[in-house]
Formats: sequence, structure tokens, C-alpha cells
Amino acid sequence: MDAFFESGLGLERFFNQPFNQDEGKGDNASPDYNPSQSSSSIDRALSVSPLAKIIRDTVNMADYDHPMHDDIGLGPSVVIHEADSTAVKFEASNVSLPMMNSLRRVMMAEIPTLAIDLVEIEENTSVLADEFIAHRLGLIPLHALGADKLMAQRDCECEQYCDRCSVRLSLHVKCTTDENMNVYARDLIVQSEGDDRYPQRGHPVINDPDGNGTLIIKLRKDQEVKLDCIAKKGIAKEHAKWMATTAVGFEYDPHNNLRHTDLWYEQDPKKEWPLSENAKHEEPHPEGTVFDYDAKPSRFYIRVESSGVLPPDVIVKQGVEVMQKKLAGILHELHNSGDNGMGGAGDEYDGPRSPDVDAGGGDNWDGFQTAYGAVNSTANQSAWGNAGGSTTPGYGTSYGNSGGYTGFN
Amino acid sequence: MGKQAIGAIAYNQFNRIDTLLYTLVYPQRPMVITKTIQLIHYDKLPAGQNATVVVMSYSGYDIEDALVLNKASIDRGFGRCQVFRKYTAEMQKYPNGRKDAIVPPMTDPQTGERIPKHAALDDDGLAIVGYKINSGEAMINKASPVDSMTTGIGGDRGPEDYRSAPTTYRIADPAYIDKVMISEIAGDRSIIKVQTRQTRRPELGDKFSSRHGQKGVVGIIVDQEDMPFSDTGLCPDIIMNPHGFPSRMTVGKLLECLTGKASIVHGRPSYGFGDAFRSHPVEEMSKVLVDHGFSWEGKDYFTSGLTGEPLEAYIFNGPIYYQRLKHMVQDKMHSRSRGPRAVLTRQPTEGRSREGGLRLGEMERDCLIAYGASQLLLERLMISSDGAEFDICQRCGLFGYKGYCQTCKSTKEVTQMTMPYAAKLLVQELISMNVGVRLQLEDEFPHPR
Ligand SMILES: [Zn+2]
Ligand SMILES: [Zn+2]
Repeated sequence: MDAFFESGLGLERFFNQPFNQDEGKGDNASPDYNPSQSSSSIDRALSVSPLAKIIRDTVNMADYDHPMHDDIGLGPSVVIHEADSTAVKFEASNVSLPMMNSLRRVMMAEIPTLAIDLVEIEENTSVLADEFIAHRLGLIPLHALGADKLMAQRDCECEQYCDRCSVRLSLHVKCTTDENMNVYARDLIVQSEGDDRYPQRGHPVINDPDGNGTLIIKLRKDQEVKLDCIAKKGIAKEHAKWMATTAVGFEYDPHNNLRHTDLWYEQDPKKEWPLSENAKHEEPHPEGTVFDYDAKPSRFYIRVESSGVLPPDVIVKQGVEVMQKKLAGILHELHNSGDNGMGGAGDEYDGPRSPDVDAGGGDNWDGFQTAYGAVNSTANQSAWGNAGGSTTPGYGTSYGNSGGYTGFN
Repeated sequence: MGKQAIGAIAYNQFNRIDTLLYTLVYPQRPMVITKTIQLIHYDKLPAGQNATVVVMSYSGYDIEDALVLNKASIDRGFGRCQVFRKYTAEMQKYPNGRKDAIVPPMTDPQTGERIPKHAALDDDGLAIVGYKINSGEAMINKASPVDSMTTGIGGDRGPEDYRSAPTTYRIADPAYIDKVMISEIAGDRSIIKVQTRQTRRPELGDKFSSRHGQKGVVGIIVDQEDMPFSDTGLCPDIIMNPHGFPSRMTVGKLLECLTGKASIVHGRPSYGFGDAFRSHPVEEMSKVLVDHGFSWEGKDYFTSGLTGEPLEAYIFNGPIYYQRLKHMVQDKMHSRSRGPRAVLTRQPTEGRSREGGLRLGEMERDCLIAYGASQLLLERLMISSDGAEFDICQRCGLFGYKGYCQTCKSTKEVTQMTMPYAAKLLVQELISMNVGVRLQLEDEFPHPR
């Protein structure tokens, strides 16, 4: 573990935070969180998150002091440049590029949210086909605060869905007037019993002034749509409907001091390439500075825009959390591999993952036995149906008797 | 725009039942247009979508005009299309007064449930609207009278039996029943039409094209977080390889991209002209871009989604109207290990619809001969094709049967050999033309005596 920390990934701060693997007992999301409140609530939500602890440790939150003057050699630090209910723009310093990019990727793809995944159509006499409506329903943003506390459906005991792993919404509309009728997301009614800690969970996100939400379908007279929707927890790796972010801006070195990019130009690069917004936070190297080949980027400008399902600060916070869990999972497996064998580790790790992929390994994985079919009789029968004994020439002995790996038998 | 593009075809497209209808789920009107488009009101029945295109190389899966598609864009409905198919059955009347009939589905006598083949049928023998139909299932459970030739006058009546003649769904991928229509046509005959519907998302190998004839197939579908992105977080729908430009000289595409980009950064409500004759001049577009903090030639700073490092070069990007063409892998992919054979030649059938094999033609054969791969040649041309065992009489050189030579009235010198069935056909055909063919056999590896 120590060697891992010294590798300069800048993870020390993240790992020094208490890490809670137990789902449902987490204390990190404030249940009374209200997205309509702006910066003060963000501070409050951040006050319990690992990211916020970093902020507290390194930056004076009161005056948003510039961190670069006095914290050389210190851990990661964060300065928030702008924040409202839909987007947060912050600057992270003293962190490595791979880590910040990982954070960006995780925020985009692996934050668990809620989206309609199963639609049971009872009546559809509208002009749109069943799959068409189902696809549209899936893309409707649903409030996902507390979605991480839901069970993943594939881990749940139930057969298809239940209140522990899903939120049920229903839609029943019929146009009875001569005028065409619009069906909006507000017409979706949550049927499941909610969690008191997250009263909004599973409700459609409605931000427009009329309070309508997303337009689902238009109906003519006597057309009717009656259906039940099952919203499940998922991540954007599986389908983009679970994406919590829209655009995620990410930039470092706005003056190209590190020369990571070429400035193609016709006459004058300074005239032809407008500086980005982030350029005002940094100074360009003065003319004639000797180029430092070993310089590494350490300040990153990230702008996270929320799709509305989660407040932007929660997205950042959960991004860090998911990353922590993933890294902890790796460390956990590395630690346990010495005495427990390959198959033993990972059964506690329960990070987000794509469906049908057993990411953590676990007990049902037979190590290398099945693939080469050599070690013992059970292994032989399971994979290729060999009648026992080493029928695959060559592989039998070399893999079977390697010893040392207790997990093999 | 081209006749292969998928899009809206008419305002009544969902009321009519076409033999084959492709429609786009989310068609968009093009952002950059020409005068002709305006004149023919193309924007009222569009066939394409404005895709954010980035011109760069990515991953090597984009060579030879292949495109890189953003998975999240596909999830959100980019290129999604519907395929409708029509199946008809005519209810005929025969001179003897008998008629075709629609019969109720059959049930399993033991379980009392519908037999699998009739799973999609309603009690009336027609498919249920909204049901998913799989290959091999009946849609119209028609039955024809066995006897259709007798006159029906006096005692001239054949058997009363009916023979099942259903219309079956035969495509490997399932579809949904969209419509069932019953009508009457000339001659007092009724006709039944069933329309099936499939909704397809773009997959590897599906064909796309811009309006400049720059067609390409999907080479890889990439997760959004792996896609390159600009400093504002803009992520492309399509990545196009720049090698498509120099030899094709599709300057119009560059103009379209630039005009489109200037239009969106400016938020212009009206169309931008992108043709070479009355387009907005490049200088003007460049000025708009510069005014909004972009580079004048449409390029932007992009970051690699994989590493987080900036791309070394600046990347040309902007919206380009992309059409989905109707050539889709789902309709074309095909393989065979074993399968049906032609009756006459006993050779494997040809073509996807008959589950046929891929022909090893003359020229391919020439290659094998030249290379000297005799065993492969034998395997391809005979063993895996129409090889058959025959009895040959070594005395007379004619075909025997079951180890007995009909000519010599003897079993003595009859041996078995394998030869292509087509060769046996040739021999018999020659015999029928009074050309005697005699086969003289030799040991391939004779015993040293
Ligand atoms: Zn459940
Ligand atoms: Zn003979």
C-alpha cells in the first residue's frame, strides 16, 4: 500500500478518509438536501464529503484564497470558481493528470442514478410505437438523490423488481377533447412507497417555468396511453440514460506552457487562437523562459454540468466516492491475494459495474481450473465435459501442479 | 436525400402499409441547406440528423471510410430507425365452391396451451397487434382445401379436408406486429395484410452517409467518456477519418461544417446556405466564429478522453447532416456450416435467403491449384460440397448398384469410390445422349508387386 501511495498519484488524501463499504449506512449524503438552495447548501452538502474535507484542510473556504502560494508540497486542493444548482466549476491543484481524468470519466459514466428501465404497456393507441415511447420514457431524468442507496436489481432477491431495488411510476392519459393533448413528465405518478430520507427519489425532474417537464407524447381525441414504468438503478456505462452529467469541461495549462498541443497558425497563433476562459487564472510563461521538459500538469479546470438528476456538487462527491471504491477494491484484492488466493478476494467489493459482468471475481469463479481442464476431476468436467484425467495435452501438468496458489484446490 | 437514406417518406406513412418501409425515429431538418432543399420543402420530410462530427483519426477502426460512433449518442436515439414489413394472404375461392379459411390456433393436447408455432396468434387465427413475433411463428393461419380441382357438379366432389398454409415470419431477428388489415379486393376475394415492425439502433457495420456522398460503415462504437472532447465538454456523435477528404475533394462538406458551426455558436434561427453558389462566404462564417471566441477555421482544442491529455493537433469539428442508409448488417449477415442442398446437383444452395454457402469459384480454385493445396481443393470441391459414394464395376466401367453390376451380372469387380455428384450427373447425361462413358479405376497408391 505504501508503494502505491508514493507513486505520485496524489491519492493520499482520498484514502485517509474513512471508507464505508456498507451500503445503506453511509452518512455522506445529507438527506435533507434541497437542490433549489444554491451555494450555501452546496457548502453544507460538501461539509460531510471526502472532497469537502480536502477543501477544508487545504483551502480557507471563507475567502476562496488562491492555493498556489503556500501549499507547494501539500496535498490536493480545490477552489470552486462558480457554483449553482445546475453546474459547478472548480479548479483542482496538486493532483495528477491521470487522477483528474479518471474523476472526469467516473463522473460521466459510473455514478449510479435512476432511470426507467422496464415499461409495461397496457394500452397504447397513440401514434408512437411501444418501443418508441419506452425509449422516450427511459431518457426522462428522474431525481436520483439517494439512488445509490437502492439495491442493484441483479443483487436483489426479487425476481423482477421490488421496492428495495426500483421505483414504480405509472402513466395513464387519455385525450377526450377535440384539441390535441400534450403528455408531460409531470403526468408520471410515482407508485412506490418512497424513502423518507429521499422524498424526491424517482420523481421526474421538472425545471421549466410551467412545471411540465419533458414532453413525452401528443395525443389526439380518443387516443390513450396506459403504462407502468419501473425505474432502476444503473450507470451510464450501460446506457446513457443513467448519465448524471451533460457536458463535462476539462482543461489544464490554458496557455500551453507545457506544450502538450501544437499551435497551428497562419500568421500569429496569439491572434488566431482565442484564449480559453480558464486562462485568466494562470500566467503564461514569459518570453524566453527555458522550456522544462519534465514539467507535469498540476492544475485542472473542471466544469461539471448536471443533467438535473443530481446536484452538481453531489456528482463530484459521488465521483470521488466511486473512484475510492474502485481503488479500494483493487487494493483489497491485491492485499488478499497473498493468503486467500485469486478467487477469495473481491466478494465484499460492490462497486458499480456493467450488467452480466462479474467484476469483483468472487466465489463462483474457478480460477484457472475450468479453462485448461487439468487440475482435478471436478474442473475437468465443468468446462469441456472431459471424462477426467488430462485430455488437453501440454496444459495439464504445467498449470495443475504449479503449487503455491491455494485457491486452485 | 438519396434514395437509400432512411427518413420520413410521406405524411401518411403510418397509415399505409408498404411492402418495406424504413423510417427514422427522430428525423431532424438539416441545419445547412441549399436553394433546392428550400424549393422542394425537404425540411418537411427530412431523412437525416445533424451530427456533431469531429474530423480526426481514432483507434484505427476508422480506416477505409469507417466511422466511429458515440455510444451515448446511439443510446439517446441517434440513427435509430424503424423497419416495417408487409405480409399478405389472399383468401381464394375455388370453382367447386370451396374457400380458403382462417383457422384458430392449434393447442397442445396435453397441456392445453398453444403450440409454439402459433404463440402469436389470437383465437381468430390472426396475429395479435403488439405481440413480439419470432422466426418460424405463424402470422396468418390460413388453410386451403386439399381439393381445388373438382367441379362440384353432381357427385364430382373431392375430399373435404383442409391443408394448413400459414404465412410465417421467417426473419431471424424478432419483430412486433404493428397492424393487421382485412379488406376485399376485386372478385369478392378477401385479403389480409399484416405489418411487422422492428426498431433498430445503429450497430457495427451499419452504413451512414453525409450529403456529399461520403459514405461509410460504423467501424467501432465508443463510450462517451472515451471520446475526445473540447474544453467546453462538447463531445462528438461521429468521428470521421480525415483521409476521406483529399482524394474526394468534398469541399462542400467543409463548408457545411463551418456554416453549421457558425450558425450554432451564433444561435441563428434561420437556415444557413451551404452550397457553393449562394452560401455564406467563408470569411463571414469565420468572423462569426472568432466573435464567439472560436478559432476562425473551425478547429478547436480537443482533449483525449482516454488519457486526459490534449490532442497535439487542433481538430476540425462542427455539425454535419448525416443520413442513415438502408443497408444494415442485420439484413445481410449470414453464415453456414451445414444446411440445405439443391435437389438436382446435391451441392449447397446459394444465397442468404436459402441459407446458402459461399461459393469457392473458378478463380479461387485456380489459386488453390497454383499453390498446390490439393487436399484443400479436394475438401472444398468435393467433401464439403457434393461428394457421393458410387459403385463402379471395374470390368465394364459402368455404374453398379448396391455392389452389383447390372451389365456384367456380377458382384466380383464392383468397387466403391467417392466422386462429385455433379460428375455422376455428367456421366449419366452423356449416356443419355448415346455417348458411352466408362470409368477406369486405378489405385492412387498402388501396391508394389
Ligand atoms: Zn428487488
Ligand atoms: Zn460391369
